[in-house]
Amino acid sequence: MNKKLSAIVLAATTVVSGVLAGCSGSDPQASSPAPSNQPPAASSPAGKTTVQFWHSLGGKNGEYISAMIKRFNDAHENIEVVGTFQGSYDETVTKLQQSIAAKTAPDITMLERAYVQMFAEAEVLEDLTPFMAKSNTSKDDFPEGLMGHSVFHDKLVSLPLNRSTPIMHINKTMLDEKGLAIPTTWDELKKVSEALVVKENGEVKRYGLSMPYDTWYPIAMISQAGGKFFNDEGTSIGFDKGEGVKAFQYLKDLQSTGALYYPPAQDSGNIVNQMFTSEKIGIMFQSTGVMGTVKSNAKFDYVTAFLPKDAAFATPTGGANIAMLTDSSKKDAAWEFINWVNTDPKGGQQFILDSGYLPFTKKMVESEPIKELWAKDPNRKVAYDQLQYAVDTNKDVAWPQIMQEFFKAIQAIMYDNQKIEPTLDTFKKEADRLLSE
Amino acid sequence: MFWKAVVLMGFIFPFLWMISTSLQTFEETMTFPPTWVPSSPQWSNFVEAMSSGPFLTYFKNSVIVTTSIIVLQLAVMIPAAYAFAQYRFFGNKILFGMVLLAFMIPGQVTFIPVYLMLADAGMIKSLWPQILPFMSNAFGIFLLRQYFMQIPQEIIESARLDNASEFKIIWKIMIPMSMPAISTVALFSFVSHWNDYFWPLVMTDSEAVRPLTMGIAMLRETEGISNWHIIMAGNVVLVVPILIVYLFASRQIVKAFVYSGIK
Repeated sequence: MNKKLSAIVLAATTVVSGVLAGCSGSDPQASSPAPSNQPPAASSPAGKTTVQFWHSLGGKNGEYISAMIKRFNDAHENIEVVGTFQGSYDETVTKLQQSIAAKTAPDITMLERAYVQMFAEAEVLEDLTPFMAKSNTSKDDFPEGLMGHSVFHDKLVSLPLNRSTPIMHINKTMLDEKGLAIPTTWDELKKVSEALVVKENGEVKRYGLSMPYDTWYPIAMISQAGGKFFNDEGTSIGFDKGEGVKAFQYLKDLQSTGALYYPPAQDSGNIVNQMFTSEKIGIMFQSTGVMGTVKSNAKFDYVTAFLPKDAAFATPTGGANIAMLTDSSKKDAAWEFINWVNTDPKGGQQFILDSGYLPFTKKMVESEPIKELWAKDPNRKVAYDQLQYAVDTNKDVAWPQIMQEFFKAIQAIMYDNQKIEPTLDTFKKEADRLLSE
Repeated sequence: MFWKAVVLMGFIFPFLWMISTSLQTFEETMTFPPTWVPSSPQWSNFVEAMSSGPFLTYFKNSVIVTTSIIVLQLAVMIPAAYAFAQYRFFGNKILFGMVLLAFMIPGQVTFIPVYLMLADAGMIKSLWPQILPFMSNAFGIFLLRQYFMQIPQEIIESARLDNASEFKIIWKIMIPMSMPAISTVALFSFVSHWNDYFWPLVMTDSEAVRPLTMGIAMLRETEGISNWHIIMAGNVVLVVPILIVYLFASRQIVKAFVYSGIK
């Protein structure tokens, strides 16, 4: 009997241990195996306000943003900004959602621009207008092309930070060999891409054009063809007049002759970059973010240009904004940091010079260091100039789900050779359903 | 023999590529076709990877978390498996069913409630959220139970006749005789928690409590071109402890087979 009882206790303990552990509420510090020497980052020294800032930048760009935060902290005695990497843009969004529910959210966060609306609709982002008024700044200080994801319901809920656009990267040496000019229209691009193809024994050795597997480029092309990704009311897909069919048909035509290399989905960005620097591709559509690395690796004359136009020039923008959470109890200190990033030459301006993202205030654009940079590296200026044609067509609360559906359509057309029109019809139906939810 | 070598290469190849990349220069990682043997090994890649964040803290956290998990799991699993294997008591089938059920629920389903619960308990800034949810291991209980059931009843009976306590039976008979199974479960558990990225990502907000996997994820560029040589150097550092533990554990498994009374 005794034995039986102990057996029950043993087994029962095991099963519920997971649950009990969670709600035991015992002091975690008392017997905690956690490191006793928490770095100063986690604690707040007396008289200092600690501001939590979540971001999504790894690698070199991560180092540049950490350096920026350090510059701020060195110059401010009363405020300590703690920057923490929270994974990719998508992972940061997931973390924000759970932390807002658990009331462990940071004071400020980096938000990939397409996700801003989702948080704005949930009313968890602070309206920055009063803070800006106090600091004598306004949203007119920012280039209009970057403000497409900032104002919702008359509230200014985010400001541009590390922003990029897709741009055309060109191996000018390759074009010169063939006596070709830099294409500015779809027709010219088609001719140039086809002229660059090198075939040996029926096998393509060199492609004309490539682009990563991403929604960014088809969206750009649909806009260039005169369509809109969403209609103005945000109730439906905005490209039913054949612009979508036209864009994809263009890509398929090029793909069929070997003029377009469409990379595999996995790690497509790196594959395309690598093929471009090793001269397997003459032209690529790719983010401004790769310019620095491509420049230092290209053994040819490397230039950039606007994405070519069809009916019009058009480019989506990418990258992330900065936003303040309404739950923050340290809003003034948080704003101090955001304002410093926007206005101090050692803030965002230096970060832009280091990283290669687009300058995001008009003052930065007019500053000497940026002008010098552009004189030295005109490719960077091209990216900024293209902003005059910026369109922000893929913003909606349902964007993350619609993006998944759009990826399915791209796969079906580009990889599985499905008919374009019915595939886009199916996508439109699904998107409309998601938009009406 | 030839085919064996081919299959073996298939498994070893990615590993060799990782080591090769970790010693290349950035230019070499960018060439196509790929470089196989680095022209001059770049040991500085490891220094660069390790100096990009508080890697000593990450490493310490990884060690503390995985060892705590393994110790807790063994302390919970072994008595539980013994109870399920040796006793018939009221509700044992239902309880065992619950264990199997727990085995089938993926962590992605429970992470939000677990996070909210631990945040409520004020544990988010500590290492507890990475340890507590894993203090029991349903798969391990299941595996050990099957193993314990194979141990001849006569050995246990004779121990009881000699007035051995239940604890002594577990300690002196069950554990030594089940070493292969126990080391296997511990090894699996070690590898999966050492390599875990999802759970620490979800459960931690600050550098102070993050493990090595998070530090290595940070080496990757968000936009732009990834520095594969640095990322791979980080990955080599991540993998080395697994290799060491595996070499050690595999010897333990063989030893346990030799000394156990099963064969």
